[in-house]
Order: sequence, then structure tokens, then C-alpha cells
Amino acid sequence: MPDCDSMRENMPLLLTESLDPARRELTHQHIETCPMCVAEWSAYKETWSILDTLPELDVPARVKQRFLAEVSPAVTPNVVPFRRRSAPRWLAQAAAAVIIAGGAFYGGHRMTPRVELTPTPATLVNVQPAPFYSIAESRVLPAASISPQIEGRPDIQNVQFTDASPSNDQIGVSFDITSHVTVTGRPTDKSMVRLLRYVLENEDKQSPSRSRAIDWVRSTYAHVGNPDPEITEALANVLRNDDNQGVRIKAADTLRSLQSTMTDGTRDALVEALKNDPNPAVRLKAVEALAKLARSGGNMDPDMVDTLRKKASQGDENVYVRVKAAEALSSIQPK
Amino acid sequence: MRVTVRRTVQTFIAVATVLSATQLFGASFATSSRVTREFQIDPAGSVWIDNQFGSIDVVGGEGNVVTVTAERTLTAPDQMSLKDASDNVALSFEGDTKVRLIRTLLPPMRNARWTVMVNYVIHVPRGVNVKIGGSKSAEHIRVANVNGSVTINGFSGVVMMEGVVGASVVNMVNGRIIYDYTQKPVARAQVQAVNADIDMWFPANSNFEWVANTINGDMLSTFNVKAGRFNGSVFHGIVGSGGTTINTESMMGHVAVLMKGSNIADAQSIRMNEPGHQAAPNDVLRQPAKKIQMPFVNGDFVFAASVADVVVGEVRGNARVETGAGEVELGAVFGQCNVTSLGGPLNLGDIMGSLFAHTGAGDIIVRASRMGGQVTTDGGLVRVIYAGGPMTLRSGGGDIIVRQFSAFMDAETASGDVTLTGDPAQKSIKVTARTLQGNIVLNVSPRFAADIDATILTSDPEVNEMHLDFNGITIRREQVGNKTRIRATGKINGGGERVELYAEEGDIYISAQTLTPIRLANPK
Repeated sequence: MPDCDSMRENMPLLLTESLDPARRELTHQHIETCPMCVAEWSAYKETWSILDTLPELDVPARVKQRFLAEVSPAVTPNVVPFRRRSAPRWLAQAAAAVIIAGGAFYGGHRMTPRVELTPTPATLVNVQPAPFYSIAESRVLPAASISPQIEGRPDIQNVQFTDASPSNDQIGVSFDITSHVTVTGRPTDKSMVRLLRYVLENEDKQSPSRSRAIDWVRSTYAHVGNPDPEITEALANVLRNDDNQGVRIKAADTLRSLQSTMTDGTRDALVEALKNDPNPAVRLKAVEALAKLARSGGNMDPDMVDTLRKKASQGDENVYVRVKAAEALSSIQPK
Repeated sequence: MRVTVRRTVQTFIAVATVLSATQLFGASFATSSRVTREFQIDPAGSVWIDNQFGSIDVVGGEGNVVTVTAERTLTAPDQMSLKDASDNVALSFEGDTKVRLIRTLLPPMRNARWTVMVNYVIHVPRGVNVKIGGSKSAEHIRVANVNGSVTINGFSGVVMMEGVVGASVVNMVNGRIIYDYTQKPVARAQVQAVNADIDMWFPANSNFEWVANTINGDMLSTFNVKAGRFNGSVFHGIVGSGGTTINTESMMGHVAVLMKGSNIADAQSIRMNEPGHQAAPNDVLRQPAKKIQMPFVNGDFVFAASVADVVVGEVRGNARVETGAGEVELGAVFGQCNVTSLGGPLNLGDIMGSLFAHTGAGDIIVRASRMGGQVTTDGGLVRVIYAGGPMTLRSGGGDIIVRQFSAFMDAETASGDVTLTGDPAQKSIKVTARTLQGNIVLNVSPRFAADIDATILTSDPEVNEMHLDFNGITIRREQVGNKTRIRATGKINGGGERVELYAEEGDIYISAQTLTPIRLANPK
């Protein structure tokens, strides 16, 4: 436990990258082997990231004056001169992190083995912590942020060694690695929404089937009260751009079922599909989605009404598409 | 003390009076104003009216003056909105003696809190041409006693044409159209609607050529219509000795050409096929629209309609269904099943006899096809849960999914993924699958034996690949023009029936899985 205490004292410095390499390595190794310190370290990082998202506010002049008035008796000529650092913000953040984390630790560590920081509601509520992991095409990581333990036998290829600046002691090892990642979270989590949007919109990057992805999106978000508009926008892009007709059919069908968050852009994509898509099933699903939109009193625009009118009267259009267009028109109440 | 009480009472009464005059008591504000204007116009000039909300009456008479009476009614939930409405709604009278333009001007982005209705009564010289456009909602649009041409374009409302002699074009979406000829028609009339019934009344001695078209409604007449013939869903017939063309077309409503003095209840439908008629695929569009919903049919079920939603729980004989458009749902068919739709999804349950199902557009779902058959859609998804006999599945564009097949399977889509799962109880089954844009996934049991011939034609060989769970297959790559052909051939588990898979711009998966077979319950 004394070891833990000293390590925890190192954590603010580790956070601000102010530890010397030996202590940094020692602290990292300890954190990896001590569950309680892992929790403590996670709380530090979370607090740090939250602080990073807070806006920098100017101190009101009145407060500043009062503060200076109160501290002025303590100022003596013997005080060591304060040397201004080039980046004062990180120091302020570190100080705030120490104060908040220290207070929380002091109040809680004897009661429970795990220390959790509770943000002050007035200042930190609704602030999303910055993510610790991002899915990226390439990234540069300091060795200190990587665990010394390599799990399993990952397939590492295309290894390159770099030493950009021989004058310092920094080296680089770059490589391609394929690792299987499982991201868990609620369907409404922004990270999950963004990930699914990427999967839906990047047809060349996904295997084995976009149809399956759309099926999954539909079954998942049909139960979510108000799915994120990014999901419907991604489906609209699929409807506009995907070469695979089966995928476009499913995109239009899914837009019909996710109508609660339909934006003007998604409505326009459906209108465009109804006008121009060569596959009658895509037009059919699009007109069904627009009919449902009309029945629910959704936002109509002249182009949509005009397209429905033309489709209903278009002699060479599929009869069912014409009937559905007529049904949609019958539901529209002009405003 | 008494003064205080009196003041309180007075205040209370004042507040109650104010509240009673506001929406807090459920009322809304409305204001109405009337404008009358007169303009000179040439006897053969034109009057154009553009009014989005409100009725329009145009009545022909003598003279050379257009008299416009406009009554504007604004409604809003509060005074501020009412003022906004008043500031943004304007009546515009423009033009010269050749063309008079009467318009209601509304802002392009209107505040939804207020509504406007402008009712026009316009008296015009009988010989002028009348053009009414932009109408979105009108209780009625009426044109009477006009000898010039008349054009009406609107969205919803009742259109009444009385004594219009000149050529006329009426185009509506919803509502109803009543056209009353006071004398024999001498000029062409084109009356179109999407969801409206069209009733036209003519003097008994009228002569004209009637062209009629409707999909969901009926074509009715109390005249003796001669030389009637159909071209697709369009009817051509002659009333009297023929003459000018009266074109009536309503997508979802009926079209009726009626003799003055007769009753529409006595009108005859002209949609039914005449005896000896040579059957044609589009004949189904000449059958009146119907709606069918019944739990079971104790015997054969034969049904045809232009537009129909058909739901039958169980057919204890053969089923033959033909629709022009609509959804077809058959729970179980004990005999053969033949369903043809020009458009609309088909949802078929347990089909015990051979199956033929086709739709012009829409998905086809078959829960069980015990004897196999043919399922085709010009565009849409095909999903078969159980295929007990040889099946041919085709989609003009859409995925094909078979949850379990026990006999020869032939699946092809123009664009979409093909996913087929073989019966794990079968050692070897012949399979042909083809997609011109998409992936093919073949799931079989690990002991499945076959002669594999799988081909991918791709413009990006880095993306599209073969994924094979079996050994003994040779994969070759060759350049064909600007594309790469990846071909996998060989025997798995010692060889067996031929499995031919072809995918363009997609992957092919032959996956060995331990599958749970589907078991069907025997019919009671």
C-alpha cells in the first residue's frame, strides 16, 4: 500500500508527462499490476479529459481584485520568483486535477477500494469525456501509452524502424497490425452512431455484406425512440450512391421504418430514388416511405408533391408504385 | 373595506372579459374583409386566377367587364399572428384588357400559426378564356356559362363545370370533378385526377369519342358505348356517331359518362372482358378493384383484380391469384399455387403443391415451398425459408436468401447478394447461383460433397476474394480485359453434385457450418 500511495502521487506528473523516464516506467508498470491504481489512473485521465473540454473563462476583474487583495499580505520579497512557463494551461489543469482527484480520493478511498471522481454537477454535467481510443487509419503512439505486455500473437507486418532525430534518444517502430475490435455501447452513443455511419457509407471497406449491416441497423434502431439523424443520413447516402440494388432496396426500406428522425435530406433522397432509380423495388420502397411520411403529417415540399403527382399519372410506371403515389397524395393536407 | 372588495370584483370582471376574448378560453382570432374590383377586358381576352386557399366561382355573362369580389378570411391563435397574416397576404390585380391576372400573394415561407382563405366570385364576359391555377385547397372551383377555353389545375376540392362550351383541361389530385354539358360537346375535354371521381353529364343526343382510364376505379356509362376497345388499361369507345374527344382519367376514382336524366346507379361498367376476348397479360387491369380478406377457402381459390390487397389464411385446394397491383398474402395452400402481380409484395406461407409466383416489383417471401417451383420478381428481395423441391429464384435487383434448400437450387439476381443454406441432411445438392453485383454466400454442412466451380469477376481483386472453408479447391487468377477473374475449382469431400457460383464485383463464401435442419409440421 505505501507503494500505491507513492505511485498515486506520481499520477498527476505522469498525466502532464513531467516524470523522468525511469519513474514513468515504474509508475506504468505498477498501474498495470494494481487494480486499485488502475481505477485511480482511469479517474485521473477522465478528469483530465473533462477539464480539457471546459472553456477557458476570464476571471472577472472584481474577483481578481478581491483575490489579490486577500493574498497580498502573504507576498513578501523573499518569495521565489515565479518563472512563467510557455504553456500555463496544462499546469492549471494539472493543479485542478490534483485538487479534484485528491479531494475525491481523500473522501472515498477508506470507504471503498475504488476511487471514483464525481464531477460537480454545476460545471461538469453533460460534458462528454473525450474518447481514449479512436478508430483510425494510422496513429502515432508514445511508448509510454502502450502496455509492455503484448496479448496473444498479433499479426504484425510491414515493420519499419525510424530514428528521425539521432540527436535525441527517441526511436520509432511503425507497422500494420490487424486486430479484432469489439465496440460496445448504447445505440444512441455518438461513438456507436459514427461507427455505424462509417460502416454503412464505406462500401468498399466492409465485409462481408452491407445488406447485413443495414438489416442490423434496422432491427437495432427500430426500437430506439429517436435514432440519431446521422443514421438516417447515412442510409440516405447509401440510397443515393450504392451500386448494389439489393442494398438500396434495404436502405429505402429502413428509412421507412426510421421515419421519426427523417430530415429534409433523407426525404430528398427518397424523392430522388422515386424519380430516378432503375429498380422498381427501390422506387416502391421509396414511395411507401413517402406515403408513410405523408400520413404522419411530415414535412412536405413542392418537389415531393410534384414527384408523387407525376408518378401517379405516369403510364409506364409500375402500377403498384402509381397506386402508392396516389395513396400518398390522398394523405396530404395542403398547408 | 367595501371599496377594496368592489375593486377586486371589477378587476376580476376585467380579467375574465379579456380572457374570454382570447385563446385562453379556446377561441382564435379571425378577421374578414371584402374587396370588389372591376376591369375592362376584350370579349375574347383571358382571365387568369391564382389562389392557393379558397373557393373560386367564375360565371360567364354579357358585357366587357370583369367583376371580382374577393372575401379574405384570416385566422390566427393570437393578435400578433393575425397581424403577421394581415401584413403578408395581399390580393393582386394585374394585366390589361387582353389578359387579367388575379392573384392571392402569400409569402414563400409562411408562418404556420395562421391560415388564410380567399373566396373569389368573378363575373366575366362569356367569351373569355379562363385559367385557374395554383389551387391547393378549395371547397369548390366552379366555372359556369363560359364559351372560351377553360383550364383548371388544383390539388384538392370539388370542381364543377357547367355549360362550358370551349375546350377544357381539368387536372386535380384529390376531390371530385362534376362536368355538366348543357349542350352537345363540340370541343375537346381532358379531365384528369389522381384520387377523384369524375362524373360527366351529356345531353342524350351527344356525339363524341370517349377515352377512359382508371386503375382502381370503374368505367361507367349510361350511354350505349359502341366500338369499345381496350389498349392496356385505356378504353376507347364511341357515343352516338362520334366526334370530339372526351378524355377522362382517374387513377383511383371512377370515371362516368352519363346521359342527362339518367342515374349513376343505372350505369354499366365497361371494364369486364367481352365474351370471346383473347386473353392478354394486362387483362387483369380491366377487372374492378377488390379487397379480399378471409380466413380460409374450402376448395380452389381463383381471383383477379386490377388493384387488390388479398389476404387468405388457408386455401384447401389450388390457388390462382392475379392482380394489377397490391399485396398478396396466402397463409397456406394445399394444392398448386400460382400468384402473379404486376406490382406489390407477395407473402406466401406453406405451399404444398408446386409454386409459381411473380411480381413486377416488390419482395417475395415464401415460408415453405415443399414441392419447389419458380419465384421471380422484376425488382425486390426473394426470401425462401424452406425449399423442399427444385427451385428457380430470380430477382431483377435485390437479395436472394434461402434459409434451407433440399433440392436443386437455381438463384440469380441482377444486383444483390445471394445467400443459400443447404439442408444438412443432404450429402450433395446441385446449386447454381449468380449475381451480377454482389456477394454469394453458400452455407453447407462440413460433410457436404460437391464439384465446385466458383468464379468472381472483379475490377478490384484486392477487395473481392474467395473465402472457402473446404480443402481440395484450386484457385486461379487471370486478367480479362480490365478485370480480374478469380476461379475456384475442385472437389470437396470427394466430389458430388455440381455447384456453380458466379459473382461480379463481390465475394464468394463457401462456408462449412454445423446447421440445424428446419422441420415442417404436417398439415392438419
